[in-house]
Amino acid sequence: MEIQNMYYNKQDYVETASGNKVCRQTVLCGSQNIVLSGKVIVQSDAIIRGDLANVRAGRHCIISKNAVIRPPFKKFSKGVAFFPLHMGDHVFVGEGSIVNAAMVGSYVHIGKNCLIGRRCVLKDCCMIEDNAVLPPETVVPPFTRFGGSPAHCVGDVPECMQDLMLDFTRNYYQHFVPLRP
Amino acid sequence: MLQVESHYCGHCLENLASADARLRKNCCVNCNNCPVCSHVLSIRIAVITASTEDPSKSVTRKMYYLVCSFCRWTSRDVGLPDQTSVSTTFPAWEPRAPNCSPRPGIELRIPEKFLWLNRGGCVCACTSATGGWAEREVPNAQRISSLLECYKGMATRERHDKEKKKYVPRRSYLHFSDKFGLSTLLARKRAGLGSLSALGYKDDSTGLPELMPAVASEEVEQLPDDVFSESVDLSKVSTMRQRLAQVEVQPASVAELLPVHKPLLVKQSLRCRECEHNVSKPETSPSSTKFKIQLFAYYHVPEVRIVTCEPLRPGCPAELIIKLCNPTQHQTTLAFLPLPSHDEDQQEYEHLVQERRNKRDAEVKSTPGREDASMVIQSFTRQLSASEDPRPIKVQVTGDITLPECSVVLPPRDDAAEYDDAGDTHAFQDDPK
Repeated sequence: MEIQNMYYNKQDYVETASGNKVCRQTVLCGSQNIVLSGKVIVQSDAIIRGDLANVRAGRHCIISKNAVIRPPFKKFSKGVAFFPLHMGDHVFVGEGSIVNAAMVGSYVHIGKNCLIGRRCVLKDCCMIEDNAVLPPETVVPPFTRFGGSPAHCVGDVPECMQDLMLDFTRNYYQHFVPLRP
Repeated sequence: MLQVESHYCGHCLENLASADARLRKNCCVNCNNCPVCSHVLSIRIAVITASTEDPSKSVTRKMYYLVCSFCRWTSRDVGLPDQTSVSTTFPAWEPRAPNCSPRPGIELRIPEKFLWLNRGGCVCACTSATGGWAEREVPNAQRISSLLECYKGMATRERHDKEKKKYVPRRSYLHFSDKFGLSTLLARKRAGLGSLSALGYKDDSTGLPELMPAVASEEVEQLPDDVFSESVDLSKVSTMRQRLAQVEVQPASVAELLPVHKPLLVKQSLRCRECEHNVSKPETSPSSTKFKIQLFAYYHVPEVRIVTCEPLRPGCPAELIIKLCNPTQHQTTLAFLPLPSHDEDQQEYEHLVQERRNKRDAEVKSTPGREDASMVIQSFTRQLSASEDPRPIKVQVTGDITLPECSVVLPPRDDAAEYDDAGDTHAFQDDPK
């Protein structure tokens, strides 16, 4: 099924020179530590915690409504230390998902209402099903599909996942258009 | 047809050869799963102050134990002794920020080569206490290994029988004996000396390893006396899933649950059922997403996407708009055909099946040796290329469709179209009429 056009109010979104579309109704803490590489969509009520550590999102990432991107921490005797969160290209983060991962590879699909625990490593071309709960320090290998609570490998994804995600995120960006008055 | 390309652990991403994996019972040696929730266990460090002979001095030691970060199960819960040794391997890593000095007691002394700088500038060191975790004695280990040995012997014998049948020596090759210096061998043979064993030839007359048949017993262990009087505490009884995670032991009580070695995952390659050519072959590295051979339908078959579909009502025409995407670099012409009727479909199906059968018969005739080799032996030694008969398509059509009469032309895929502002691709003449 072809993606339907999604319309947004032009005054609600900020579009940067590199094509990032960021909603004004978002919480971007420590914006100097947040790098959006281009054509990234950040939808309303999303939270990106750049005040904790650096957050870097690759090209064509989609951060849906109510999603939270939060760098992971590690407890030490003298307080906690936060680690940067890197996200590859063509990553989709579903609505209401909370991402605490240390690394998210490229061409990754994260479903709705997922919880990605502290310092998880999501390799390239993997998929997290809706409502999955990844406990801290889980490693998701390429071409696997994780689901459930605690999440475990429930299957695999097609070998052409890279092209599917490329197509999906590009189409999404093309169909995310401003409402014409 | 699926084929296992390589085995790897899903947590530490260690690659294993298939013989190695079989030796380790398809489990990772380093990674353990939680016996309660089957999540991967992580390693915690505890500092223990042990008193020595001299009361003024005390020695601090690092102990390692396993913790589940999901259900909080620890290896101490079941009384597993902590480990003192630590070997440095990749899996569990202990990240350390540069401006965060860890507790003096918990200082990690790790060789330089296991420290690396990640992009954020923090130092990460990897530690993991591997091996040495108590392995449970499997009660039937001996029986299982003897059975396995017996089956292995049987398999070798069957393979040997089959090979013998395949290569029946038509005539003796003794006339070559002088040429290849076999005369001494021949002399030894004539003299009745066992010379063939030196050539690695095994005589199959050695019988199979002796197997004790299982003995059924009528005596069954009685239930304990308090089974009806005591109330059951479900929190102490293991669930079916937890028991089946440790098939060899199947502990009934939670207190007997031990860490389970993490089962390995596989990378698979695909082969065509007909011609046995590789269709997809991934790179062996577990973290790689590249392919050596990548012949997917996605790159060849035009993609059909539904753009809009009016709600379907009986008796009313409805419009359906589809979008066709050409994944190839070639211009493609497409024509629309109605779905064949049931009779036409059946006819075509029968024709296809017949064609297949003829082809198969011709193959069997051309290789007469295959007939006598029994199928059972074949299935043991070699994976059969399972070719299936085509299945008839059963679709109940309840409407009529008005198709476009002419064919359409799909332009070749243009990767640069996204960056093209001129938009001349939109003006492509796809209707040849």
